[in-house]
Amino acid sequence: MHVQDLLKLSGVAIVVIGLALRLRTTIVVVVAALVTGMAAGMPLFSSEGAFENLPMLTRAGQTGIINILGKAFADNRLMTLFIITLPAIGLAEKFGLQERAAELINRVRAATVGRLQLVYQLFRILHGAMGIRLNGHPSFVRPLVYPMSVGAAESQLKIKHVPDEPVLEKIKSANAAAENYGNFYGQNLSPVQAGILLVYGVMQGLGYTVGVWDLVKFTIPVVVASIVIAALQFGLMDRGLNRLREAR
Amino acid sequence: MSGKLFSLDTVYVLTGLVLSIFSLLAFTDRSNSRRVGSGLFWLILGAIFIFGSLMPHWLTGMLVLLMVTLDGLGMVQRGTAEFKPEAAIKSGSIFLPVIAIPVVTFALAIIFRLMGLDANRGALVGLGFGGLLAMFICLRITRGDFRELMNQGRRLNESMGAVNILPQLLASLGVIFTAAGVGNLIAQGIVQIIPANNLFLLVLANCLGMALFTIVMGNSFAALPVIATGVLVPLIIKPFGVNPAMAAIITLTAGSSGTLMTPMAANFNIVPAALLNMRDQYGVIRFQIPYALTIWSFHVLLLWLLIRFS
Repeated sequence: MHVQDLLKLSGVAIVVIGLALRLRTTIVVVVAALVTGMAAGMPLFSSEGAFENLPMLTRAGQTGIINILGKAFADNRLMTLFIITLPAIGLAEKFGLQERAAELINRVRAATVGRLQLVYQLFRILHGAMGIRLNGHPSFVRPLVYPMSVGAAESQLKIKHVPDEPVLEKIKSANAAAENYGNFYGQNLSPVQAGILLVYGVMQGLGYTVGVWDLVKFTIPVVVASIVIAALQFGLMDRGLNRLREAR
Repeated sequence: MSGKLFSLDTVYVLTGLVLSIFSLLAFTDRSNSRRVGSGLFWLILGAIFIFGSLMPHWLTGMLVLLMVTLDGLGMVQRGTAEFKPEAAIKSGSIFLPVIAIPVVTFALAIIFRLMGLDANRGALVGLGFGGLLAMFICLRITRGDFRELMNQGRRLNESMGAVNILPQLLASLGVIFTAAGVGNLIAQGIVQIIPANNLFLLVLANCLGMALFTIVMGNSFAALPVIATGVLVPLIIKPFGVNPAMAAIITLTAGSSGTLMTPMAANFNIVPAALLNMRDQYGVIRFQIPYALTIWSFHVLLLWLLIRFS
């Protein structure tokens, strides 16, 4: 490898070291972007408008790092759209949303924290098969799945109050994980999904025409495994909670 | 007309307006010792949401750098004022606003599909309008006022803080990594160390490369073209005459195991931790690592067995 190639990887190193040292993530990411871009010989700005032919900062015919940063940031606003759901969720929580959700699940005797996660995961796999890809963390997990899981934990532990911090942290991570498991592995079950279309497009570009239904077919064993492994993990979590109850 | 109204740009502007209100409330929040920096941060983000499609990219880029600087200097903080607890609503009607969000999300996804438009885009537009409808329903059933509604939204938003812009920043980093050719370097590195005649090692390297590159980029979709071009097609599919559909789709989800383990996939792993007010920013990743390693190993075995016995 050439020296310049190694320099390009310095951005990766900055991210790894920065995150390991728990430096402020936003700064780490932007510094990594600037360093990688400069190592690859990219100018800071595109040579256009007010910046046309500006020495040092631009280079003819090359897109600037700041321009790429701005464009990508604006193009990816969709990732931050969930902010628009926060006022309603916040106010509903203030008026007892979480308590009601916990009460609701308390009435279902068979409900355990682990089973609830698995049911939610299956529900999200169903979305995938229906051809709908969405990020369920803001719309399902925070307002509904999380408080329901807390309710399930209360009845599982036979306590009348919110479980203590370590248990709560575990429940929260399981909620987010169930969403990710269902979303990632379920979304290839429909031929209109972005993942399937991506594979189709990439393979087409490499000279292979693959059938989209073939892609869906070969993803089935992975989906089955994703459910089985999750059932194991969530099952272990339930056993842990039951042992906690017996220890009391 | 309706095409214009129900577009991504409309929901970007709506979200930008909500952020602007959060910003005004932050500027006047006396419980926040950093209210100017915090207000400015959310104001800039709001402006990028509203004008992002019109502004020149260099200006957006500079504004992003300004936001990151504000955060880096510790000037983005949350207000500590506690809002008085309201009398709780005892009936199930409190579920209506939060159910409205997924219902509208779905409805628009399906309507977009029926109109021959992109259903995933419909889901995003639906998320925006669902959030708006939920606000109206919430105000109706709680008889709360608008200021209280926005203050509650701001409370959640500020408790997440600057983490909110991380997914957008990381996506930008990914674009710059791609422009600099970081992926090709990783693929080349793999090719250099693997003996070309050992099928199992090749499958292992393919799945490992996919997971590693996804961990770096935070996105398996960005990793697939690189690994497919550099490893999967030239070293596995071509020489061994493998079914391309089977090998390609299994390689893609081998990358998803990487997504489960990386803070670079902030929208799936870091933002949810913030959204749920977790103590440990990396708590979700910690929980997912054993699962990810198990399902990744399954991918290696599955791909190897399917090639071996077909």
